[in-house]
Amino acid sequence: MSPAKLTLEKAAITLGFVPLTDCALLVVAKERGLFAAEGLQVSLSREPSWANVRDKVALGLLDGAHMLAPMALALTLGVGSDPTPMAAPMALNVNGSSLGVSTALFDSMPPASDLTGAALKQALDRRRAEGKAPAAFAVVFPHSLHAYMLRHWLAQAGVDPDADVRITVVPPPRMPERVAAGDIDGFCVGAPWGGAIEASGAGRMLLHGAQFWPGAPDKVLGVTGAWAEAHPQTLQALLRALIRAAVWSDAPENEAELAALLARPEYLYVPAAALGRALSKANPFGLRFHAGGAGWPRREHALWLFSQMRRWGQVGPGGAAAAEAVCRPDLYAQAAAAAGVAVAEPAALAPFYDGSVFDPSEVGD
Amino acid sequence: MRVLVIDPDKARAALVAEGLADVKPLEVRSAPSFEEVETELEAFAPDVIVIACDSPDRDTLENLRERTAHNPRPVVMFVDRSAPGLADAAIQAGVAAYVVDGLVANRVRSVLEVALTRFQLMQKLRGDLAKAQADLAARKTIDRAKGLLMKERGLDEDTAYQLLRKLAMDSGRPLAAVAADLVAYAKVLKGGQE
Repeated sequence: MSPAKLTLEKAAITLGFVPLTDCALLVVAKERGLFAAEGLQVSLSREPSWANVRDKVALGLLDGAHMLAPMALALTLGVGSDPTPMAAPMALNVNGSSLGVSTALFDSMPPASDLTGAALKQALDRRRAEGKAPAAFAVVFPHSLHAYMLRHWLAQAGVDPDADVRITVVPPPRMPERVAAGDIDGFCVGAPWGGAIEASGAGRMLLHGAQFWPGAPDKVLGVTGAWAEAHPQTLQALLRALIRAAVWSDAPENEAELAALLARPEYLYVPAAALGRALSKANPFGLRFHAGGAGWPRREHALWLFSQMRRWGQVGPGGAAAAEAVCRPDLYAQAAAAAGVAVAEPAALAPFYDGSVFDPSEVGD
Repeated sequence: MRVLVIDPDKARAALVAEGLADVKPLEVRSAPSFEEVETELEAFAPDVIVIACDSPDRDTLENLRERTAHNPRPVVMFVDRSAPGLADAAIQAGVAAYVVDGLVANRVRSVLEVALTRFQLMQKLRGDLAKAQADLAARKTIDRAKGLLMKERGLDEDTAYQLLRKLAMDSGRPLAAVAADLVAYAKVLKGGQE
């Protein structure tokens, strides 16, 4: 038995994931033996919905999970469920989300020369003038980067996301069929599903997550605060394995192998070729796992997400400090140091696609 | 009370509806997916929605709280306060419930308890069926292996069976696995596909 194993509070761990390219680090750490090297026996449980991930983590049926960053905040604040204080000790990716519209809606838009939603607004206005039903946009969960990205972008273009369009929720793997069926006119979803919609000809991407807000918070490793407290060594071992997985996943020479791993039936069950674009290091909008400090769970990000939850009426005032405290950069830094992995300092917050800059000090309580 | 049961498994949905028969007054509607009832939702106005956990529609339901006057909220979590363990048991058995309007906790709890036991019953039935099918398939394979040994080695049935058993014991593998190997090898040796 290795010395590391002796100190683990729990060696057999179950982590949940939703089939998306950004569950990569969990898959890599398991399949390349990085968890095992830390003395962990990790089972990965594929979950059909984000609600399942939330409930199973809150109830302790999963030790932790690949989780939407705002879900960790919503759980902590008791939005949509009983409050369960959460900890997010690592971000699992940046980039990969994309916002787009059906080909039919795209064809009704004037040619767009910028990233604002001005062309879409014109098409939506004409649609309303013609007396048609409001366009339906789908996101992956009410509390997700995707929901806030879509809402922010629509609002900036003068489209009221609550009155002028209908926003619904469709699980990521089902997004392509719903767009193709004409049930929804627009979408904001993570890779590989946005690319799949475009490749099928059913829709067109208008804005990538990397364009919307470079470095925007997408998925995190989510565990309950109580679990983190009761299993400090186990959590550190998990983080060391995931950090090493992030370094491996960011190496250009591993692109093909990573795509092949994720493509397997027990993970995404899609052709490896469908994963290539979002994983390509040559693609400026592609996923990043480690470079540029991608793994930091950032408190500024939590504050922005909280400000969006406030903005759209999902949560009342008074939760900013609790939301911020979900992020545990201290645990991430400790694990990176112990793993001997160099981590870039988090960069200054980049401006949004429209040039505006988020100022965390402007977020109220 | 109006209960909407969303389960792709029609038999299980029917079982849940049947179990609720004691609840009065009661109106139950079942649908394989939320999509199919979405448009009628307002007209039916369920008090509680019982849904299979493995249905991806759970996320769509979560969203309703935000856009309609009906406020579905997940109830497995909420029940947890009054009945420790029920929420875990429910999620583990694969059922979640959403309360749509202010419904008395006890009533939701009884609906969820019915759903829970019915889901578990169905799981057991399905497990039993799978085992019975596997047993049947294994017996067929063993019979074929026995037949092969009888034909090729000129053994009687009992001796052929004893030989198979010895092979299984010597290799420490299940009888059916050894029999399957024997049948497969025999095919190769004969050069045939089937």
